[in-house]
Order: sequence, then structure tokens, then C-alpha cells
Amino acid sequence: MLIQILNGIVYGGLLYLLAVGLVLIFGLREVVNFAHGALFMIGAYIGFSIAAMGYWWSGLLVSVFAMALVGCALDAAVFSTLRKHDHIVTVLVTFGILLILETVVTKVWGKAYLTYPVPPLLAGTVSIGGSPFPIYRLFVIAVSVAVAVSLSLWLRYTRTGLYIRAASTDARVTSMQGINVDRLSLIVVGLGTALAGLSGVVAGPLLSLSPTMGNYILIDSFIVVVIGGLGSFAGAFIAALLIGQIHNFGAVYLPWAATVLPFMLMVGILIWRPTGFAGSRT
Amino acid sequence: MTTLIEARAAKPRRKPVGHAMLIGGAVAALAVGAALPWIVPTKIAMSLLAQAMFDALLATSVGFLILQNGRTSFGQAAFFGLGGYTIGVLVARQWVAPELALLAALILPTAVAFLLGLVISRITGVAHAMLTLAVGQAFYEVVFRWRELAKGDDGMSFDLPARVFGFSARKLQDPAFMLVLSWTILVLVLVGLVLFTRSRVGQVAAAIRDNEERARFLGYSTVMPPALVYAIAAFIAATAGILQACYNGYIAPQMFHWSTSGFALIMAIIGGAKFIFGPAIGAIVLFYIKDFAGQFAEYWPAIVGGILVVVTLTMPRGVVGLALLLWRRGTGR
Repeated sequence: MLIQILNGIVYGGLLYLLAVGLVLIFGLREVVNFAHGALFMIGAYIGFSIAAMGYWWSGLLVSVFAMALVGCALDAAVFSTLRKHDHIVTVLVTFGILLILETVVTKVWGKAYLTYPVPPLLAGTVSIGGSPFPIYRLFVIAVSVAVAVSLSLWLRYTRTGLYIRAASTDARVTSMQGINVDRLSLIVVGLGTALAGLSGVVAGPLLSLSPTMGNYILIDSFIVVVIGGLGSFAGAFIAALLIGQIHNFGAVYLPWAATVLPFMLMVGILIWRPTGFAGSRT
Repeated sequence: MTTLIEARAAKPRRKPVGHAMLIGGAVAALAVGAALPWIVPTKIAMSLLAQAMFDALLATSVGFLILQNGRTSFGQAAFFGLGGYTIGVLVARQWVAPELALLAALILPTAVAFLLGLVISRITGVAHAMLTLAVGQAFYEVVFRWRELAKGDDGMSFDLPARVFGFSARKLQDPAFMLVLSWTILVLVLVGLVLFTRSRVGQVAAAIRDNEERARFLGYSTVMPPALVYAIAAFIAATAGILQACYNGYIAPQMFHWSTSGFALIMAIIGGAKFIFGPAIGAIVLFYIKDFAGQFAEYWPAIVGGILVVVTLTMPRGVVGLALLLWRRGTGR
């Protein structure tokens, strides 16, 4: 039982890392980033290529930095020009980017499933409540908790964090106060995609790598973002934990319905509250 | 903010094409359709073009929802797949006569969409896109897991019955016949949609799209017309699904997958979702680009993605919008 809950938290943590990136990007750029799953996947593949040479931790760092750069480039080249457009147009543009990135991954790494190694430092299991539990999974939980805590402290107690919260509420009014929202967006989108890369690398050893690995988790993280409320950081955190538990308990106790449960929950919540349970936007 | 549907109150409306011209155009299009087997050179080209017709129908369904309800669906494949699966499963099991199976395959998706439309038409924008995505994926997951229904992941092939409505059903798998049939259905659907947008209920749906509160204030029911639009869109998607399932004699969960919905949406946008004919033209344009791309087929998703990015950023009204603009400039109107 305890093990089940922990497994749910592991998946919830991964979803949180992706969902919070989506929330950050949506908050500042009003872009629903369909390419986020593809960035997650590319992060995993970059980390894998370096880890395969024996440098697991360098793989993690390189992947996170590379994805941060990709995010800044995306923001400067694409997202900043999308401001004038409707949300749906931006969705379509990021959908186009997703198709391009998937093709790139298929060309570079092939379609075969690849196995991402676990770093030697984190191999093995510990005993929790009498059952063995992989240390690596505890590491995944630790990473997501660390990100969640430092992100919320950063947003709450720094000046940049204050600006970001302001711009997420209303980018136009914030820029009227003399804050450079474009520069802020560069940081925020870069951070969001870096988190996608981080999530990809830490998820690598848990899932197997394939050009479609981003799709499944992307849809789950969309569900998290929508349930939590578009633009809400706390909502994303709670919803990620909730979906993680549902995903896991569903798989154990209701296997025939497990994959449909998150969708049902989302439909139910949106009908009850069209803005999600902590959001104010549609 | 530019939206896909621009509400322009100030500009006087162009006089709509008269009924006589509409009927004339439809008859001409049907005549072209009947001649297609002699125009299109090879069986393979006919087969591919028939496939493009199924895509065109699905894209029309997605585009109609954008045009008439102002809602973008990322899950229209749900009704495409539901139509295909209903006829596939019923015909394969031989539970009912094939004519009844056809009827069920048309009615079930339409009814589901109508009921769903009553609820989800309240939700707008991105949340609507996500919600339809979720509904579509929920169907996908069900048919993917439910092996007893139609062999789950593997998909299921089925044999067509000998006769449908007294005709030989084998003809449905003949490329020339299927091309003419799907073309004819597409033309009839487009004419039907034009007539719908001019009807009273169509006008009310458009008014609700532009300003729901005002429409309600004027005393219209703001629940039924959008739900009816969902039902009509699903009916068209189901027709496409039925045609494809019968033509291939095969159904697979991919029919429900969100990439199927996504590609239909791309076709609708590239063609121009502001026009009833736009999505169908988008499907045909993409079909020819794919034909040209031939040797680069493995890069096909990236090519589509690139086109999509360029089209959405540079010509928000799609190919048809661009063509109309050029034509109007050319004729000096």
C-alpha cells in the first residue's frame, strides 16, 4: 500500500515537472505548448546519448542546459510573435513544432525502444515497510520535491518571482508598470523547457525511450494543467499528485478503466468548474 | 487579438450566392465526380484520392465546428472512429442486417455528439480543445484495451456482406466506385452545410457563437443550436469513418487517435476554416503536397508541421482566404 502511494508520487512528480513548465509558459506567453512532450522526449534522448558513454550526471546537466537554450530560442523566434494571435492559433503552431521535433528524433535516434541506464550511485533498492523499493524512484521524488519547493520560494520571495506572478496574472498591465515582459518570458520559457528536459532525463530510466514517449505523458500533463486551472502553480501541484495516485491505483485495482479515469475526472471537473479548481482563466 | 472567426459587424455583407447558383455548382461538381474514373489515370491514384475524400469529410466536420460554433475540437476522430467501429463490429459479428448496421453507425456517433454538445458547448477556448482531446483519447484507450470488441491494438479486418440495399457491397472496395461515391457524398454534405448556415437555426447558432449572452437576451435558446451543430459535425465525421472502414475492410484504434483529429484540424486550418469549402480544399491541397513530397515521405510529419506553422502565421484565413483575396484584387472589387 505504502509502495503504491510512493509509486503514485513518482509519476505525479514527473507530471508536476512537465505541468509546471506548461503553466509557466502559458502564464507569460498564453501559449499552450503542444511541443512540451517533444521537448521532454528530446531531453531524454540527449541525456541518454551522454549517459550511454558513461557520464550519467553530465547527461543530466547537458540535457537541462540544452533544453533551456532551445526554450529561449523558441520564445524569441516563435512565441514572442504569437502574442497577437488567438490561443488556438498558438496551439496549432506548437502542434506543427511537435511534428517537426518528432521527425528529428526519429531521424537521429531511430524508432526502436532504447533503455536508459540507472546511474550506479542510485542503483539498488531500500526496504520500505518490508518491501523493496528502488532508490532511483526515491531520487525522482526528491528531484520533484526540490523543484517544487525552490520554485515556489523563488516565485514568492524574489523580485523576479514577483514580476512573473504579476505577468502571469496580466502581462499587459505588468508591462505598463515598466517591466520588460519579453525578457521575463525568455527566462520563464527557458526555465519551463529546462524542466521538461529534466523531467525527460529523470523519467528516462523509468520509461523506455521511443519517439512517441512524449505523447502519452503530455496528455496526462495537459489533464493536470486543466484540472488544476490554467495558469495556477499550486493547482498544478495538487492536480499532479492526484493524477499520479489515480494513475497508479487505477492500474492496480481497476486495470480496465485505469487509462480512462484521468479523462473522466477532467471532463467532470471542467463541467463542474470550467476554469479548473484553482484557475480563473479559460 | 485575431480569432479564427472574425466577427465583423461594421462591414456590409456580400450578397450570398443564390440558390440557383448553388444548385448549378453542385450539379457541375457531381458531374465532375461521375467523370473522375476517366480523368484519374491509375487505380492507385484513384485509391489515394478516395482516401483524400475521407480526409476531406473529416476536415469538413472539424472546420464546420469552428465556423459555426467557434469551437476548436482536438477530438473529432472520436466520431470518425465510432462510425467506423460501429459498422465494422456489427458487420463482422453479423448481429444485424448490414442496412441496420449502417443506420446505427450514423445514429450512434450523432447522438453521442449531441448529448456531449449539450454540456461541452459551454466551455470555450483552450479548455474546450483539451476537453475534446480527452474525450477522443478516452475512446481510443477503450478500444485499445478492449480486446474482445475488435482485437484491441491489432485492429480487426472484416468482410463486407454480399449485398447492401440490394446492391453488391463488393463495389465499396473498388477504387473507382468508392471515389465517385465519396466525392458525391462530400458535395452533398457541403451543399447541406451551406443550406444549414442559411437556415434559421444556423443563423441562431452563428449568433450564439458571436455573443452568447446577447443571443440569450434576445430570447433564443442557447443550448440546442450549438448541440445540433456538434451532432451534424459528428454525423459528417461518422460518414467519413464508415466509408474508410468499408473501403479498407479494416478498423484500428488509430481511427480514434488524437493525431487523426490533429491532422484533420491541420487540413481545416490550411484550407481555411472560415469557409465551408475551405477544409475540404485543405485536405486536397495536402494530398497533392504529399504526392509531390513522395521521396521525402519519411519527413512527411515535419513537412506538414512546417506548412502548418507557416500557414497559421502568415495566412490565418488559409489557402481559400488567400485565393479569394488575390481574386478580389485581380478583379478590382
